[in-house]
Amino acid sequence: MTLAGILALAIAVLWLGGGSIWLLKNRGYRLAQTHVFAMDLIGFPVEFAQRVFGRGGVPYALLMPNLLIFGFFTFLPMILNFYVSFTGGSSIVLFDRPWVGFDNYSGIFDCETILSPRTCANSGFNFWTALFNSLIFVAIQVPILCVVALATALVVNRDIRGRGFWRAMFFYPVMLSPVVIANIWNWVLHRKGVLNDTLGGTADAITGLAGMTGFDIFATVLMAIFLLITLERAVRSSADPSLAWTFVFAGLIWLVIGWANPLSLLGMASSFWLGLAVAAVLVWSVATVRPFARGVVLAAGVVAIALLLTIQFDSVFDFGGFRPVNWLVTPNTGWPMFWLVFVFCWSHMGFYMLILLAGLQAIPRDLYEAAKMDATRPARAFWRITLPLVMPTLIVVLVLSLIRGFQVFDEVWLLTGGGPGRETFMLVQNIYETAFIGQTPDYGAAAAGSVLMAIVIAVFTFLQLFLTRRQSEL
Amino acid sequence: MSAVSTFLTRTKGRDGQKGTVGLQDVLTYGYLIFGVLVILAPVLWTFLSSVKPERAIDNFDTRLLPMAPIEQQVEGIGLKEVFLYTNEAGEETEVIKTGPTRKLTDVATPDQPTAVFTVPKESLTVAEEIRVATENYLDPILRRNGQENFTFFTYLFNSVFVTVVATVITLLINAMAAFALSKYKFRGRLTFTLLIVATLLIPSSIILVSLFFVVWSFGIFGSLWGVIIPAAATPTGVFLLRQYMLTIPDELLEAARMDAASEWRIFWRIIMPLSLPALSVLAILSVIWRWNDFLWPLIVLISDPSAHTLQIGLTTFSGEFDSDFHYILAMTVVSLVPITLVFVWLQRFITTGIATTGLK
Repeated sequence: MTLAGILALAIAVLWLGGGSIWLLKNRGYRLAQTHVFAMDLIGFPVEFAQRVFGRGGVPYALLMPNLLIFGFFTFLPMILNFYVSFTGGSSIVLFDRPWVGFDNYSGIFDCETILSPRTCANSGFNFWTALFNSLIFVAIQVPILCVVALATALVVNRDIRGRGFWRAMFFYPVMLSPVVIANIWNWVLHRKGVLNDTLGGTADAITGLAGMTGFDIFATVLMAIFLLITLERAVRSSADPSLAWTFVFAGLIWLVIGWANPLSLLGMASSFWLGLAVAAVLVWSVATVRPFARGVVLAAGVVAIALLLTIQFDSVFDFGGFRPVNWLVTPNTGWPMFWLVFVFCWSHMGFYMLILLAGLQAIPRDLYEAAKMDATRPARAFWRITLPLVMPTLIVVLVLSLIRGFQVFDEVWLLTGGGPGRETFMLVQNIYETAFIGQTPDYGAAAAGSVLMAIVIAVFTFLQLFLTRRQSEL
Repeated sequence: MSAVSTFLTRTKGRDGQKGTVGLQDVLTYGYLIFGVLVILAPVLWTFLSSVKPERAIDNFDTRLLPMAPIEQQVEGIGLKEVFLYTNEAGEETEVIKTGPTRKLTDVATPDQPTAVFTVPKESLTVAEEIRVATENYLDPILRRNGQENFTFFTYLFNSVFVTVVATVITLLINAMAAFALSKYKFRGRLTFTLLIVATLLIPSSIILVSLFFVVWSFGIFGSLWGVIIPAAATPTGVFLLRQYMLTIPDELLEAARMDAASEWRIFWRIIMPLSLPALSVLAILSVIWRWNDFLWPLIVLISDPSAHTLQIGLTTFSGEFDSDFHYILAMTVVSLVPITLVFVWLQRFITTGIATTGLK
């Protein structure tokens, strides 16, 4: 029998036996009051504390169980972590572990240069690879998650039909367990799975369509019509351009620049980013109500029409034969990391959406009414009212998602297992594998990794709070 | 016709009158439809796939409905797959293959298996019917057809046990702590409050290794209690309940003390019933956390298959039977259904509850 077992038995005997005797002696119970007796018995230590110490002793007795658990299972491990990180060997009896000083840490820092994990010793290689992968993951995932969560919160905060249903739908993935999420996406992302099948089918259909005669003319005319309509709508009113239409227009511009590929004349690879930049400038200038917004939108329209004439639509839409991609295991493509970010956002977005939604609903209605009185455009109202007032909530979301992002394990472990190679190997997996997987568990190195990870998380959290402090004060 | 054209061309009026569709609305609904595609479609697809027969799964049949080839008992031959033969006139007849598939294949009708005739293989198509493959679910659950290792009911029991016991303990001790922090003035109240705030800042994944040492020396490593106890006290829960209990008027407590009620009875009879809304939010949160918990149970319970929770059992199951997608999908759906039902039942409550109480 273990120590904990004996302890538990002793407590049980004292509590149930002693408590029953004490209660029965001090209070009379009728048979019909059995449930009252049971209730009193659960709270026997509290009753006892009140009898012995008076009312002043009660709060301590009430806090006791919580504090015991926090003490033993949160604070004690926190301190023990430092101790374990200075010990070596693979014994799980704390006092059998030899003191090794800073060996575990120097193992991690045993590199020619830290920036290239390959030059490190084994534990250093694992840690730095994991750290850099985690940094990449967090750097991509946090902004995407925050923007998507804010956009979704704004959408479901509108006066739409079936609002409760939509909110519930976006929240639903939060309820699912990581294993279920991983199995679902494994199935969808399989090389012969439904995603590749749909993409292949669509690509074939479009290629077939593009091969028809007259497709080029037809597509050019159609695109021109789209461009002109959205442009007309965007700059129709005499005041500032409409943000919603500019948004659509910017999307079209992005496509046109991407397809026309003007940078290829300069021998540069992709116009994709150029298109994105132009679209972003358009949306930004309209959204922040710059005086030159109208001119920029019109100029972009002229450029877009000119570029449109150079596009060979039949070759743009000729995808050739679609080759299914092995999304989660093809190395050096970035797809495994992309899908991890995607699945993580998929499964956590709803939670942050709800927090932001609460923040949005806390904004007083009369501010918008006052803005409406002054004929403020919705875009301006968003930048001047919604965003500043939702900023404190957004910062909470940023910090939470950052901390959670560094701790990602479940989805990665179940979807890619850190692979292909070490492409998606991250911090918690490093700790888990060092300590709990393999023949000789190295608890010391794992604890050292945990300490360093805690430092990284703390640094980033404080950095973020510090950088956003000034904005939130406004 | 004119009604249609007015509907298509009308725009949002200047004063935003009801019943008109603006571009913002179009974009909004576009986003929502995109949301359905991204969020619900994969789950529905998994569900639809889980009732497909093994053959359809192995062939990655991407049709929506579960189609299975028709098989028919043929006299003197046994179970044969039925094909549809289309002759030049376009008439279809059911046939079975009597020889190997060649350019010209020997076939016969199921009624007269001896009357063999040859047809070109292009004119044969597999005859299919819709068949819900219940065996995907029943084999692992009833432990038959080689699925003896997946002890579904043990896993289910463990998961339910962990979830229920942990939630009850969490509710009780968190409510006690919240009661103490919200309704008593005592020395060290601020210290205790700050201590509990501090635990919010310690992510569970950075104390994994040393928590393992603590749990091991308590002798609860490898047992369900090793999963239940360490996470029973949640700072979130204490705060959520404390904020709620602060709104309960002190006069109620004073009145009860006048009647010589003990503090414990005040807690049990007055505070607990009055904080029921906050308690139920915490109960739901706790159920979600415990049911979906993964990393810590993986560490504590992995060595003992009889202590696996549904999540851990499902993980090892997926690992062992990497190719048996039909079982994996079915078991995924099984572990998805309870939480989905709870959610559908309580969704408004859950979303408003979490939105108003904030942190996780």
